[in-house]
Amino acid sequence: MTTIRDKQALLHRIAEIIIFELKLEDITPDKFDPDLDLVNELGVDSMDLATVALVLQDEFDIKIDEDDYPKLTNVRLIADYIQKKLKGQTG
Amino acid sequence: MIKDNVRSTSKVSARKEKWKFSELLADHEIRQRWEKVKKYFYLRESTYDMTNRCNIRCDGCYYYEGEKQFAQENGNPDAWRELMMKEKARGITYVVLAGAEPSLVPRLLKACYGEIPLGCIATNGLRRIPEEIEYKIHISVWGNDETSLRVRRSKHLLMKQIENYVHDPRAMFVYTFTRENIDEVYDVTERIASHDGKITFSMFSSPIGYNGSLRHNKSSLNRTGKVMLDLMSRYPQNVIYSPYNIVAHTHSYGLHELYGCSYPRRNSSTDIGLGRSFRHYRADLSWDRDVACCVPDTVCDECRHYAAGSAVVTARLYRHVSDPDTFKSWLDYVDTYLAVWVKGYEKSINLCHVMIQPPFQP
Repeated sequence: MTTIRDKQALLHRIAEIIIFELKLEDITPDKFDPDLDLVNELGVDSMDLATVALVLQDEFDIKIDEDDYPKLTNVRLIADYIQKKLKGQTG
Repeated sequence: MIKDNVRSTSKVSARKEKWKFSELLADHEIRQRWEKVKKYFYLRESTYDMTNRCNIRCDGCYYYEGEKQFAQENGNPDAWRELMMKEKARGITYVVLAGAEPSLVPRLLKACYGEIPLGCIATNGLRRIPEEIEYKIHISVWGNDETSLRVRRSKHLLMKQIENYVHDPRAMFVYTFTRENIDEVYDVTERIASHDGKITFSMFSSPIGYNGSLRHNKSSLNRTGKVMLDLMSRYPQNVIYSPYNIVAHTHSYGLHELYGCSYPRRNSSTDIGLGRSFRHYRADLSWDRDVACCVPDTVCDECRHYAAGSAVVTARLYRHVSDPDTFKSWLDYVDTYLAVWVKGYEKSINLCHVMIQPPFQP
């Protein structure tokens, strides 16, 4: 389980996961725009997003609700969501 | 609903409360199958009525219900080519060419194939579709020849279908179980298997307003499930199906209640997935989001149609990531759907041999 407190490191790790799971080429986590719209700009579909969400659940030991999937449309939103979930667990 | 050989998810989970995705994928067999099916997640479908004509008239045909049958057909290949180019541009990678009878308009099929090379044609099989159109071809079978004559008013239909598509790698026979034809499938499957054909199953799903004798009831659903299972074991090389397909399609609840239909007609969300990308074009190239669905004008609560399940069950990946048997069942379902719909995709041996109940029931 990963518990990343630093936002920048969290954004980086999420980008890494997306790049790996969706087999994206010609892009590195450092260059990944955290505000890039995964659905409208990157063309990510529901199955891709579900796959990423499942991996993130494991990685951060959180539960991502099925209804929340469509809200996770960019890396920054995903990071905010994860941080909120992690805070909820500890707080 | 099948009672024999049923294992409830809760019993399986008793061994371990909840499995992580990574734990499930640690199993080599599961990982391999996941990697196999995952390659096809890029498929994005839409459906197209090619013409409003058909060369037979079947009881319970969903095409001749609702408004779509009155669309003025567009027979211009250039118009279809242009539509396909636009579809490609908006991310459609897979086309389902259906109503009423696409084999009557081969020039339009060719135009579509020229632009989007992955797809399927739903046909009654009476007229052979030219070989250069390398889509998967789904040939609808609704019983033996006697029943076909009665319900579809067509003589020696199965014989003609087999003659037209024997040894054709594009061909997939789709047997639609009605309340009346359950046991006829034995003879039909034997004839198809004796010609090395492949067969899969669909369930009659009533069009709106239909009150005829083909409609399923609890007893016919139960009997159909048992027959499907029997056929899978008798003809493992020919029957393309899985135990979880049986569960999903013969359950007393329909697909929408079990999984939540993701087609626009039942899904108002346009955020992502089918609710966003799916369109059902009529023969005049128009479409209407409010009725967009893979089997329009079907009663949603009774929908157990194979085409609907292929999308609806597959889309619920996350609900099936709970324990090995449930996830294996989902993988078998997706493996089956790909073998049925994607030319060249070979079905693997089913991973789960018991009947796992759907993860959510109303």
